[in-house]
Formats: sequence, C-alpha cells, structure tokens
Amino acid sequence: MRKTESEMEVALDMPRMRVVPPPVDEAPEDGPSDAALLALVANADREAFELLYHRYVRSVFGLALRRLRDRAHAEEVTQEVFTAVWRSAESYRPERGSAGGWLYTVARNAILDRLRRNSRADTTYEMPELASPEGGPDEQVEQAQTAWRVHRALEELNPNERQVIELAYWSGLSQSEVANYLGQPLGTVKTRTRSALARLAEVLEGEVQ
Amino acid sequence: MNDFDELIGADVTGAERERLRGVHDMLVQAGPPAELPDSLHNAPRPSEVGALRKQSTPRKLALLVAAIIVLGITFSIGFSTGQKHAAPPSVAQDIALNGTAAAPRAQATLAVLPEVAGNSQMNLSVRGLPQVSPPEYYDVWLVRKGEPWGMCGEFVVSRPTRSLTLTLNAPYSLETGDTWIVTRHKFGESGVGTTVLQPRGLRPSVVPDI
Repeated sequence: MRKTESEMEVALDMPRMRVVPPPVDEAPEDGPSDAALLALVANADREAFELLYHRYVRSVFGLALRRLRDRAHAEEVTQEVFTAVWRSAESYRPERGSAGGWLYTVARNAILDRLRRNSRADTTYEMPELASPEGGPDEQVEQAQTAWRVHRALEELNPNERQVIELAYWSGLSQSEVANYLGQPLGTVKTRTRSALARLAEVLEGEVQ
Repeated sequence: MNDFDELIGADVTGAERERLRGVHDMLVQAGPPAELPDSLHNAPRPSEVGALRKQSTPRKLALLVAAIIVLGITFSIGFSTGQKHAAPPSVAQDIALNGTAAAPRAQATLAVLPEVAGNSQMNLSVRGLPQVSPPEYYDVWLVRKGEPWGMCGEFVVSRPTRSLTLTLNAPYSLETGDTWIVTRHKFGESGVGTTVLQPRGLRPSVVPDI
C-alpha cells in the first residue's frame, strides 16, 4: 500500500541506485525515432506507445521525483504524463522541435500543475525550490534538463554498455572492482566504458528526434 | 565514482578526450536514474488512459448508438415541449461528489472549466474508490433533469492509489442544473451501473437503475 495522506512528507527522496542486472548479450536496438513513434501514437498505435513509454518512463519519473520529492506523487504524475501523451500525441509538430523536447514540456507542465495543486491544497507545503540544498532554481532547472537528456540517452545503449556505465558512475566500485564483478579483464572494461561514453556522446550530440 | 582519467586512461587524446569528458560531466551532474516503482514497469492500458477518441471499435459503436438514442430522446423532448435551453454556465464550477453506500470512503471534486467550442474540460480528482479493472470501469455521467444523460469518460483503478486526477471532457452544451455522477459499470451489461459518487443532495430516487 502507498503512504496514507497523514504520512505524506516533503522529505528528500532522491533517485536510488538501480540494481544492476547481470550481463546480457543483446544488440543495440535502432528502432523508430521518437518522432515517428509519436506519429504512430497519434493514430492510437499501442505498440508505439509502449516503446515510447519504456524509452521515457525513467526520465519522466526521475524528473517528477526531483521536483516533487514524493514517490507517490511522482508515480501519479508519471501516469498523468503518459496519459497526456496518449491523448495529445497528434498535437506534436516535428518542425517545431524534437520529440524529446515535446515530451519534456508535457512532463514539466504536469509536474508544475501538480505543484500548484499541492500548494493550493496545503498552504504549508513548501515548494521544493525553496527547500532544496542543491542551489538556486536556475541551477536546478539545468540539472533537471541534463538528467532528462542523460537518462533518455542511456536507454539508447545496449544492456552491456548501460551496465558498465552504471557500475562505473553510480555503484561506488573502482574500475578494478567492476572488472572483478563482471569477470572481465580490466582492459576490456575500460574499452567498453570508453565505447559506451562515445555512444552516449553520439546520442546526446544528435539529440534523439 | 571513478575519476575521468582513471576511466578513460591516457590513450584517448585531443578533441575526442574533451568530447568524452563532456559526457562524463553530464553523467556526474545527472546522477543515477530513479528506480522505477512496480506500478510504472508497464505502460498504462488504453482503458486506463480513458481517452474516448481511442476506444475500441465495439465500444465506440456502443457509445455512438447510445449518443444517437440520447440525441433522439433530447430532440423529441425539445420538439414536444418547445422549451428553450437555459444559457450554459459561463464560469467554471467545482462540484463536490460524495461516496454512496457502494463506496462510502470515496470522495471527489469535479472542476468544470469554461466551455470552449462546445467542449467543457473537466478535471476529476478522486480518492477512496475501490480497485476496478477491465472489464469493469468507472463511468462519469452527466446527469440532466435527474437522469444520466451523456457519458463524459471512463477510468479504472487497477492498483491501490491514494488519489487519481483525470482530465475528462463534456462535449455537450451544459445547462443550469446539470451535474455529474460516477458509476461502476461492467462492460456488456445493460444500464449505467451502480452509482459510487454523487453530489450531496442528489436524491438517489431520481437516478434510475443505479
């Protein structure tokens, strides 16, 4: 069960380290672009919606969690965001910008709407910007946008690449420990890390359309 | 976290090294992706997103038939009485809905926004409803003159949740005295189902078959 209302809190509830799965041999998937998926979703294509969902759900949930600092609210807003995507995909115009940017706007609007509603419902609710130890609002916006882009880009990596990045950056393990954990030579781990970073650079430079 | 130089080694130099350093800095700034809760592992079903325009063909047909019947009845009544409709409300209204005996813990607020081009957007915030999954649905009905008059959307509560907020649409010209109820209805069964939420003061007897 979720928290009851009386248990609601404004406590810091930041993203937690994911459990890293064991290595999987799987080729990177070069599926349809996000823009193409949105066009299909506009025609009620269920498969396209699911693919788009899995590409973006972590980014949306992560953004909601950063801003709302409450897992239950972040879950609900994430569902609202994808409801809005299903309903209004036809309003996306590729010539006006990237599909990722459109989705970010949908997510941001849903989060802001929730923040407004929360502040109306509870006048003691403190807006996260005021309580955050992470710097001013501008800094937070920049961090949120960076996280959005990076987490979306991670979804473009194959599982092995993604795993080595997650281990290198967020597991607390050294490169030697990562090599030991994966049962791979240190040189292989370094090479794989480098190629994963290069792939991420490609994705981020190209910005998923 | 590993140092960039430790990660990359000395082999990569020049512009490529700076390119990778840029990605490294972004990864550090972004932090780890959030662990997804179980409820988000799967995309919501179309019935959960509840968009009328994207319902299955049989359901669309059923709604179309229902809409034609409703329009026919309305036309007949209007023609026989010659009664002029009152002007639609020009301002948004908030309607509090209370749980009936079928859902005593349920509560909802329906915010009806001003009409735009014949459509009134409605934001329904609801809490305390029992879980319901397809083929059962919660239906939101516009009630006019004490009777369910037109459906404004449907939704499910397939997992425990503290509250839900849904955006619905009333593609009707609203009249003074219009209100809304929420019913629990099993697809394929006749009638509009069991009323679970209704405005305070609405006499159950004026809502037939629910």
